[in-house]
Amino acid sequence: MLTSQLDHQTRTLADAQLAAGGGDIVTLNGADHWRDVKDRVEGAIQVDIEFDSFKDGRGFTLANQLRQRLGYAGRLRATGDIIPDQAGFLKRVGFDAIAPDRGDLAADWAKAEAQFSLAYQPANDQSATIIDLRERSGADLTQLNAKYREQDALEVLRDAIENTWKGRIAIMSSFGAEAAIGLHLVSRVAPDTPVLFLDTGRLFAQTEQYQRELSEKLGLTNVRVIRPSETEISAEDADGKLWSRNADACCDLRKVRPLDGVLNEYDALITGRKRFHGGDRLSLPLVERINGSIRVNPLSNWSAEEIDAYFERYDLPRHPLTEMGYASIGCWTCTAPATDGDVRSGRWSGQDKSECGIHRPSPLEAPVAAE
Amino acid sequence: MKIITANRLTDGRVIYRTSDGQWTPSLAEAQPLDNDEADNALAIAEGEFGIAVGPYLIDYTEGEPGGQKWRREGIRLAGPTAGTTRTLGAA
Amino acid sequence: MYRYDDFDARLVRERIAEFRDQVERRIDGRLTEDQFKPLRLMNGVYLQLHAYMLRVAIPYGALRAEQMRMLATISGKYDRGYGHFTTRQNIQYNWPSLVDIPDILEELASVEMHAIQTSGNCIRNVTADPFAGAAADELEDSRPWAEIIRQWSTLHPEFTFLPRKFKIAINGAAEDRAGIRVHDIGLQIVENEAGARGFEVWVGGGQGRTPRLARLVKDFVEPRDLLSYLTAILRVYNQHGRRDNLYKARIKILVDALGVEAFAAEVDEEWSYIRDGELRLPQSEILRIRSFFSTPSITEASPVPEAGPAAFRHWLKHNHRDHQTAGLSSVVISLKPIGGTPGDATTGQMQVVADLTEHYGFDEVRVTPDQNLVLPHVRNEDLFAVWTALVDAKLATANAGLATDIVACPGLDYCNLANARSIPVSQAISSTLEAEGLSEAAGDVTIKISGCINACGHHHVAAIGVLGVDKRGEEFYQITLGGAFGADASIGEIVGKGLAAEDVPGAIARILKSYLAQRLGDERFIDTLRRLGSDAFKEAIYADLAA
Repeated sequence: MLTSQLDHQTRTLADAQLAAGGGDIVTLNGADHWRDVKDRVEGAIQVDIEFDSFKDGRGFTLANQLRQRLGYAGRLRATGDIIPDQAGFLKRVGFDAIAPDRGDLAADWAKAEAQFSLAYQPANDQSATIIDLRERSGADLTQLNAKYREQDALEVLRDAIENTWKGRIAIMSSFGAEAAIGLHLVSRVAPDTPVLFLDTGRLFAQTEQYQRELSEKLGLTNVRVIRPSETEISAEDADGKLWSRNADACCDLRKVRPLDGVLNEYDALITGRKRFHGGDRLSLPLVERINGSIRVNPLSNWSAEEIDAYFERYDLPRHPLTEMGYASIGCWTCTAPATDGDVRSGRWSGQDKSECGIHRPSPLEAPVAAE
Repeated sequence: MKIITANRLTDGRVIYRTSDGQWTPSLAEAQPLDNDEADNALAIAEGEFGIAVGPYLIDYTEGEPGGQKWRREGIRLAGPTAGTTRTLGAA
Repeated sequence: MYRYDDFDARLVRERIAEFRDQVERRIDGRLTEDQFKPLRLMNGVYLQLHAYMLRVAIPYGALRAEQMRMLATISGKYDRGYGHFTTRQNIQYNWPSLVDIPDILEELASVEMHAIQTSGNCIRNVTADPFAGAAADELEDSRPWAEIIRQWSTLHPEFTFLPRKFKIAINGAAEDRAGIRVHDIGLQIVENEAGARGFEVWVGGGQGRTPRLARLVKDFVEPRDLLSYLTAILRVYNQHGRRDNLYKARIKILVDALGVEAFAAEVDEEWSYIRDGELRLPQSEILRIRSFFSTPSITEASPVPEAGPAAFRHWLKHNHRDHQTAGLSSVVISLKPIGGTPGDATTGQMQVVADLTEHYGFDEVRVTPDQNLVLPHVRNEDLFAVWTALVDAKLATANAGLATDIVACPGLDYCNLANARSIPVSQAISSTLEAEGLSEAAGDVTIKISGCINACGHHHVAAIGVLGVDKRGEEFYQITLGGAFGADASIGEIVGKGLAAEDVPGAIARILKSYLAQRLGDERFIDTLRRLGSDAFKEAIYADLAA
């Protein structure tokens, strides 16, 4: 993490060299406040901060403020009563040189400077913090997925709702064919969990009816109906036929954008997606990050048989359309009965499309695939 | 009279200065100093490096720590008067 | 419970290597004692009367069974068979050799522990509600936030050489059990009108020579802004806190001097500059940390037993606490045997607690600011087995919260700063109150003893405080009345002149008798005291004493 070593020097020699090249060397004391030294620091080629005692840490804040608030980019040197054990700290707050009173400890200074390879705090030495490193490694989700793999869906939801994202989580539901499972599990943990119901304006009447029935039966007290913007619809889909011209654009207008509006209010969303749905969902983890927001998929490893068993065990009402062969239910414009036991085969049937986009990374974050 | 005491650098145990400039855990082996020679002797002990941490003078009367700090120095000499160190030691 | 990742573990190893090197340099003379002292303190190493003392960090007081077992092992292998749990939820060993300490730190690191910043003029080990994640009155578990603060404050490049020590406490429940009003920064998790969670920030509390209750500096800081706000406070303190006078160097004096509005304005000026910068907490990190902390969920909920031996029921009456999950309870393991040394546990006792933690405690045990231990999660059907094992280990004293649950610092028996002894006085008070039946009769009463004005025994915030002072070689004890640590925090008032050690137990017994005579209904001691004022008890203190 250390990019270059602190320049360790005796004071007089270094000053003589600098002075020969011309320019101001400004000497400050740790006791000086950054606001008071603004004029003096401007145009300096070197600023010295003198430490009266190594125990007086004001120089660390002063250095930091010169770098950050005054934007001082020149050489910054710590002088006076400083000790090798401070090397890493000096460097991190923005010093690039030292001239300690005691000049015979060069080896200790070099060793101390290399003592730590990591730090938790952001500082002025451009090194990545431990938080950055974790972010890059996706460590948070690895940990959480490992934990959730040991738990059943109810336990996952209990942790997600009552602990990990307490007060910052909602369930997204289409009130489609399998929606009752996730909603019922959530109602067992906390029936006041926000339920986000996306009304695209193109839903089957049966879906709207089912939403009311099921919400009542499960005692869900916080159903939020999300609708696309009227203004955007009249601008982009004035004739209501956008779905037939460009299904992706229609999904974007009626699903992705309205949902984006509310997503900021929650840190995590519970979905009912399952691996057996196939397509992009075959490798679905229990927890994932999509566009910086978290999706919890507690049913990801449920099979169709388990779902049927759950419906029976708790005597949950079915979506009226399932009787007619619909296995996955979206908008009436783009949903047909499923074929050959492939649950999502009726969605965008005949198109090379399997997801509407609300569960997909935006292009910027999408993994680079060979095309 | 005065005695020079300190803590041992390596383990912190209480030590006293002897007449030959060594350190001992035994107060009986320590060198009692007249008040007028005590400051000099302390300055010498302070100037040394290696065995003792923070040498200072204590009052010494009739073979025991005396003066206003008698209790503190008595506890340093004999150990805690109460607490688990004692109850476990007695067990 | 939090578990280290490779980064945390590597940093702790590097810190041990650094300390080993510092010890080496001290022994061979490259470091003077003046230079070494602040460095060893920052790693929890004091030089006390008889020996070095090592204070090991127990972040927010939480331990796993394996960690408690290691504390037991260290007490036997490097110390004299016991450890002392402190009011800041840490543990102290009183007899280690300096040259052994790097090895002790290696042993600690093997179970993800350390002694970083348990002393020194830096941000100290953060403390929290010992019932976090369990308490029935909890809004949000404070432990994830305490862990986030622990990491941010560890080896902070800018705030390691502060004017004076700096203590942060955090509470997430309705009742304040973390003492947020008596810390340099106290954080209370709150919900705002919109239902969002955040922090109330209290600054400038503290005990010691100039006791102060913290003032409210910000009524709502969003979670993602926590670290930038803390940084702004520390930056203002580091620049403006006094360094010319040790006794005026704490942030409470700065808040007094500037006034709370001016102080808050200064913090806001700095905060506005850094708020949206790199210190903003990514949601993913909050999530990652939070994912380690959970409250056990159980399927079959049994009620708290109502039958059983009288001693068991008596223990439940005083040492049981309600849990947020039906079927679970929290229990206090009192480290205050009658006439014993407050806060001490032997090697064997720590091993028993580790076993109970493992078998019955969902692998969690806590240290409280009252120097007790807590098993936060115990199934109700296991309470009897836990109690039985505690009885065998002499850990089942049924006095949590009672007058014999005395807090005391090590005092002049160990401490280099003390003026008077604390332990024998607390032992005598405990024995007297128990013998007279007053501990049970008086109900909830806090008694806390400090052996000097530094107030490590928290006497300022006890209903009955005892402060040891030295008058020309003799120990005297001043009584203070009316202090409170958490709920309705207040600083006790000194009542009259100091007492000789042998007069203290009788005086306290008379105070409690006077309370029992004057209380209305089932009024608590502190409420009677606040209703009548401390003068009403003055006569009781000095009655029977020759003038």
